[in-house]
Formats: sequence, C-alpha cells, structure tokens
Amino acid sequence: MSIELQNIHFSYGRVKALNGVSLSIGEGATGLLGPNGAGKSTLLRIMLGFLKPDQGEGKVLGYDLRTEQKFIRRQVGYMPEDDCFIPGMDAVTLTALMGELSGMPRQEAMKRAHEVLFYVGLGEARYRPVETYSAGMRQRLKLAQALVHDPKLLFLDEPTSNLDPGGRQEILELIGEVAASKDIRVLLSSHILADIELICDRVVIINKGEVAAIGRIEDLKMVNYQLYELKIKGELNGFRQELEEAGCRVEETEDRLVRVFTPPDFDHNLIFKSAARNGIQVRHFVRSRTSLEDLFARVVGVD
Amino acid sequence: MAEVREKGYHHWNGQLKERYWPFWPITRTGIKLAFQRKRFKFLFACSFIPAISFAVGIYISERLEDFKFMAQGAERALQVNPNFFKTYLTMDFIYFMILLLMALGGAGLIADDFRHKAVQLYFARPLTATDYLLGKAGVVVFFVGILTFLPAVVLLLLKLLFSGSFRFFLDYPWLILSVIFFSAFLMVVFTAFVLLASSLSKNRNYVIAIMFAAYYLSEITRGIFYLIFRTPYSALLSLPANLQQVGAAFFRVKTPYAIPWFLSLTVLSLFCFLAYLLIKRKLRGVEVIK
Repeated sequence: MSIELQNIHFSYGRVKALNGVSLSIGEGATGLLGPNGAGKSTLLRIMLGFLKPDQGEGKVLGYDLRTEQKFIRRQVGYMPEDDCFIPGMDAVTLTALMGELSGMPRQEAMKRAHEVLFYVGLGEARYRPVETYSAGMRQRLKLAQALVHDPKLLFLDEPTSNLDPGGRQEILELIGEVAASKDIRVLLSSHILADIELICDRVVIINKGEVAAIGRIEDLKMVNYQLYELKIKGELNGFRQELEEAGCRVEETEDRLVRVFTPPDFDHNLIFKSAARNGIQVRHFVRSRTSLEDLFARVVGVD
Repeated sequence: MAEVREKGYHHWNGQLKERYWPFWPITRTGIKLAFQRKRFKFLFACSFIPAISFAVGIYISERLEDFKFMAQGAERALQVNPNFFKTYLTMDFIYFMILLLMALGGAGLIADDFRHKAVQLYFARPLTATDYLLGKAGVVVFFVGILTFLPAVVLLLLKLLFSGSFRFFLDYPWLILSVIFFSAFLMVVFTAFVLLASSLSKNRNYVIAIMFAAYYLSEITRGIFYLIFRTPYSALLSLPANLQQVGAAFFRVKTPYAIPWFLSLTVLSLFCFLAYLLIKRKLRGVEVIK
C-alpha cells in the first residue's frame, strides 16, 4: 500500500476538518474528490507531513506520518495548485534546485532537470526565465519539478486549473502516461470530475471531513446506485414523489428526459408499477451508463 | 556510444541521499541569482574600494620614508593598530554598501518566495523551516563576510607581508580573533536585519524601503533623543551606533559612546533573537497548501 490512514482526526481550533478518515490507496492512479471545505487539502497536508493529525495513525510509502515526514517528502512529488515559481530563475535551474533539495547529487539533478523538462514539453524554453512563461508552461514546469527526483508517489493538486482545452488535454496525457506505465502512484485532487474519470481507476470521495466513498470508480457506480432514463407522457409530480419515497432520486433534464437513480437492490419493475398508478405512459426506458458526476452527486448529496 | 531511449518518461537510477547541509543548494542559488541582477557586479566591485584604500594605507605605513613628500603629518592616521581594523570594520561606507548590495540581492530572498508562493515548493522537499532560513541566511552571510571578514584577514596578511616581521602579531595576538568574531557578529546582525525586512512584505521594493528606513531612521532617532535628553544612552536606539560600540569593545579601543558596550551587545542580540522568532512565525503563517 502506498498510503494507509487509520482514524485520522484533525481540527483547526474548534473547526473539525477531518473526522476519522481511514483509507488505503495502492497502485495506480487515485482521484481525490470532494466539495470545497470537505477536507481534501487538509488530508494532503497531513499526507505530506505539514500537519500532524490530532488523532489516528498513518503511513505513506511505509513511512510514519508523525515521525518520518522528511522521508515521505523525499519520495513524494508534489505539484501544487497555486501558480508558484521562484523568480529570476530559468526552468532548468529551478527544476535542478528542487532535485538537489530532494537529495540528488548536483550534476545528476541538472541532467535529470533537462530530461524532465523535455518530457513535459519545455525543452525549447528551458533557459527562459520562468516569469515569462504562460499559464500552461508554468503548469508543465510544476509537473517537471514534481517529477525531477523520480518520486514513487505523485500528489497532483488541480493540475489542469487555468489551462485552455488544448493545454489541459496535453497535461492529462502526460499524467496519464506517468500513472499508467511508469510505476509511479498518483493521487490526483481535482474538482474536474472528467479529469479524474480519465486518469484514475480509483477514487476517494471526501465529504464533511469523512470518507464518503472509496474504491474502484466502476465498482462504486454499480454499488451505489443504478440509473434508468425514461421518456414519459403525463404529469411527473405524483410519479416523482412516489419514487422518492421509495428511496430513488429523480431528475428531469431540459429535454424532458427523466433520470431515476435507484438504490442498488431496487426492483426496476416498481418504476413501471408506479407509472401505471399515476397514469403515466412510459415511452422510453433504458438502463443508462452512470458517470462519476452522478456518483459524486449521489454520495455527497448534491444535485 | 550514446544510449538510444524510447520517447517518454524515464526513471532515474540514482539514490536520493540526505545532505549534510541541506540548505546549501538554496544558498548557492541565491548567490548566483544575486550576481545575475543588473548593476550588482558593479556595486560589488565598488564595495572593495575601502579595502583597497586600507591596503594602500598599510603599504604606505610601512614605507613612510619613501612617501614622506606626500604623507606629511599623516603618521598618526597611518598607524596600523587594532583601531585601524576596527575603523575598517565599522565604516559607514561598508555598511552602506552592504545595505545596497542586499537591496539588490537580498531584499527578495523571502519576499519573492512569499509573493510567488514558492515556499510550498521548498517545503514539499525534505527541508525544515530552519533549513530554509539557513539557506537564505547563507546568502547574506556570504556577502557580508566577503565585505568584512575577507578584506580584514587580507589586510592582516598584507601587514605581515609588508612589515616583514611577526612583531605586529606578537603585539596584538588577539587581533585575529577580534576580526573573526566581530565579522561573525556583523554577519549575524545583518542577516537578521535583511531577512526580517524581507519577510515583512511580499514586494521587494517595499523591503528595500524598509531596510534603508529602519537603518537610517534608527540613527536619526538616536540624534533626536540625544538632542532632547542629552544622554549617551540614546545610542542604544541606533543600529550603526550599537555596531560601533560593540566593534570598539571587540578591538579593545575606546568606545565612541559613554555607555557600557555590553548594553549594545544585548540590544543587538535581542534584536537578532526577536527577528528569528518573527521570521519563523511569518513562515508558519504561510499557507503551504491552500
């Protein structure tokens, strides 16, 4: 396991940020999802060793969260969300400096800086001062400095923020390549669900300081609900009320498509029976593929 | 023959090691960046003018007979003794040049990191806050040392070389220790001063203003207090005056102000300690990850 946390509690004064978070993350890419204020950043801080949990134990790459923060940071690459850089430097100097600070010999760090800058697509611009870089280039630079010491675990905090669609696609391809084939475990924190769905096969959903869901995305979708899409003729209100009382969530789209999220063990025949009771004609009925967005909405309890 | 590699990401085969001095890359990079700034090299070269003048002074003092025609009445001024070295190490011009160099190469040491949120890049590495501060402090120590300690030692060696005897060193065997300890003291005080100023604002221009204002306003305040209260203790309010006092004590010469030198030492030590606490607090207050 690359990350194992047990019953982590953390408070900022009286505000409880994490309330008994337990999770284990293994190989591959894992998404970290949650609404604002859910505790994602606090969890990242704790995993990087910046904050000590009030209660609970945990290990990252086998190192203790409380006592071995230095070892954790040596093996972890971190790409922050903020637009951050050291002014006056070119990309090679900055990336090599970060490699050296991680414990690489100077010459090796410089050589490796050139390599990763070429890898992220900044090869031609590597001698330019970083303050002249565009947002997309800075994003690539942050990825390069996170990769320079060849980490075993990569924390990516909103890696596609501030990027145009083209730049986003390119960064996602790079991350996908690193995550898929290069023995680097990735923890991707993002509010863009499509990014997580594209890169990650597992997800941790945090809500109100607690783990709301954890597991393989496909499995979670199956376990948490099923989705049926209906086209109907008739008055929706009574039908909706009856289904909601039976534990379903009902949405109506702009093109009058009715989406019914049912609990895992729900018998779909009940939908037809309810429709018949309410005098509704069902003209189209299909079991639909669910998206991560649906899962997120369901687990976190938002529309 | 060069290795042919597939396109894409490659693992690094080396071993990450714990550094004995983890802060050293920060210091080295800071020094390199300072020299890359416009006009820095010129000012740096100008900073050695007093050292060159003092070296010429030592040469002339040893060859007074040869320079009689131009050094009439200058015998006293050209006496090389502890006061000569104290004068060099407490010169206003040297302190002004240190401030000027640090305005160019030191003002942004912490301010730029705060402004561009670079602190989190450092702290995501196996570094402590103390390592980070030592790395930044190393830049100031380097430049202060190169303007104080290095020339003072060279002047001592020149004295030895031009006099051709060890008599001067036998007369003042403690002088080398005075040079070392007072230079080290200057390094600590200026490091605390520059880093504190640099941590007080995200804007390096404001930091430069804070540095010069704090340094010279302290001297102006001393003057005002002296005019009002007519007490030599007003010297305790001034950074340069306190440095003069401590310098005089280190070199065993008469102190310029009629107050005990250890009071100035205490004031400056307290300043350094408070600066350290304030900078640490500032760093702790930085949001490492939003």
